Amino acid sequence: MPLHDESLPKNTLSYFFREAMRRMWVSKRTSFVAIAMIAISLFIVGAFLLVAENLGRAVAHAGGTSRVNIYLNSDATPQQIAAVDAWLAAHHDFAGRKFVSKEVALARFREYFANLSGVVGQLDENPFPASFECEVTPGLAQSAPFAKQAAELRAIAGVEEVQFDWEWVEKLKKLINLVNLAGLVAGGLLAIAAAFTIANVIRLTMLLYREEIDIMRLVGATERMIRGPFLIEGILQGLLGAAVAIALLVAAFLAGRHFLAPRNSLLWGFLFNGFLPWQKLVALLAGGMLAGYLGSWMSVRESGEET
Amino acid sequence: MIHFYHVTKRFDAYSTALHDVTFHIEKGEFVFLTGASGAGKSTLLKLILRQMQPTEGQVVVNGRNLKAMKRSQLPFFRREIGMVFQDFKLIERMTVFENLSFILTVLGVPPREHKKRAYGALRAVSLHHKLNSYPLQLSGGEQQRIAIARALINDPLVIVADEPTGNLDPDLTQEIVQIFAEANLRGSTVLIATHDRELIEHSGRRVITLDHGRITDEKVAVPQRAPRVESIFGIGG
Repeated sequence: MPLHDESLPKNTLSYFFREAMRRMWVSKRTSFVAIAMIAISLFIVGAFLLVAENLGRAVAHAGGTSRVNIYLNSDATPQQIAAVDAWLAAHHDFAGRKFVSKEVALARFREYFANLSGVVGQLDENPFPASFECEVTPGLAQSAPFAKQAAELRAIAGVEEVQFDWEWVEKLKKLINLVNLAGLVAGGLLAIAAAFTIANVIRLTMLLYREEIDIMRLVGATERMIRGPFLIEGILQGLLGAAVAIALLVAAFLAGRHFLAPRNSLLWGFLFNGFLPWQKLVALLAGGMLAGYLGSWMSVRESGEET
Repeated sequence: MIHFYHVTKRFDAYSTALHDVTFHIEKGEFVFLTGASGAGKSTLLKLILRQMQPTEGQVVVNGRNLKAMKRSQLPFFRREIGMVFQDFKLIERMTVFENLSFILTVLGVPPREHKKRAYGALRAVSLHHKLNSYPLQLSGGEQQRIAIARALINDPLVIVADEPTGNLDPDLTQEIVQIFAEANLRGSTVLIATHDRELIEHSGRRVITLDHGRITDEKVAVPQRAPRVESIFGIGG
């Protein structure tokens, strides 16, 4: 009989899974703690990812068109408004101009911020300025000649402010990066803590089965055969934790969309626009399994072997 | 098959379990190892299974020098040895069948054969009706026989048993030694450590006697009239 055959018997994998699930069932409470830790960690990571994802969608939506809002003074005369209109008509870089009256601006606000419409109703006069909306070719918007034109536009009588969408898009992009980074840092730290929790749970299980492990070694079980169920146990705990995290995220997302979005459609409409794509859900599951594997690996690595 | 060359095992400066022990057991032999408690029998068996390493000397089993054996080779070496432990070493949370099935899993036997093989091994020790019992539901003697069934399930090259009849009544002792004798006839080399002087003295087999860690006697037991043992080894009338 060769003494170097490190391959595992064919039925070993099913044995690993059976044993891992049985041991998790036997140590229900400690397994629950490990699964809960993973679930909390990945829920936090997932929440950050969800926010970043929806902000990203908003940016992507705005990215295709570079809109410019030219806000007019509240006391702008019809002649001044006509002058601005004429200037825009003469400059082809400002395409598709559209006049938004004070009334239309107010109606939009009431639509987007339904819960604040009462506040506006209490005011004596409409606080929203009239404006022109134009589309600018995205590449052109960053050029020096365009900046000169924008300065010229700002100088026209009756123009209060010229606001470019790409400015907040850039700010939003920075925010997305920050959210992603915060999520990764917070989630990463929690995932490390979860991996250590799993390591301790597996360590406890190994202590519980110490005698059995000794017997296994004496009858010729390889270290892989002995450690396999513990590694699978960690991976299963990670997978279950990730599944719980995703279930909680779905519940939170649906609740948010149902209860929050109608109250403030602009803000919450952005944040609850869509759920995470399947690739990120798979990444969360893989992250849970990896944290579980690392935790159990830390424990089995420390477990004593014979000399 | 089993060779000890000047083996000494010291646990510390004041405790030496074996002193310069040298003996050879050839393939197909059936040998008894005897001696009082503390003589070093269990230590010697542990050295054969490489549960521990000798302080001095060499142990060679089935052509393999255990001192030079890599840790990764140890499980595969142990699968060649059927060991019956004095304390049985059955896994308490597993049923009798699962205890045997686990060994078959380790050995790579397909699961569909487990039931048949386990049943056959248990039938040999007359415990096939205890397939679904847990070790703690069985008497000491029954646990002993399960441990023997586990050791023999793979027709090992070497069978090493530590007091395998210690918990058995005379009738069962006869039955169990008969099982070892049959395994020996099938080609397994057998080494049994035992206190049972009657079993040894009338066996007609080689006996190695240990006393305070030294071999004090090595002889072939002369068969005498002892009906219980005669019938096992086919000696006498």
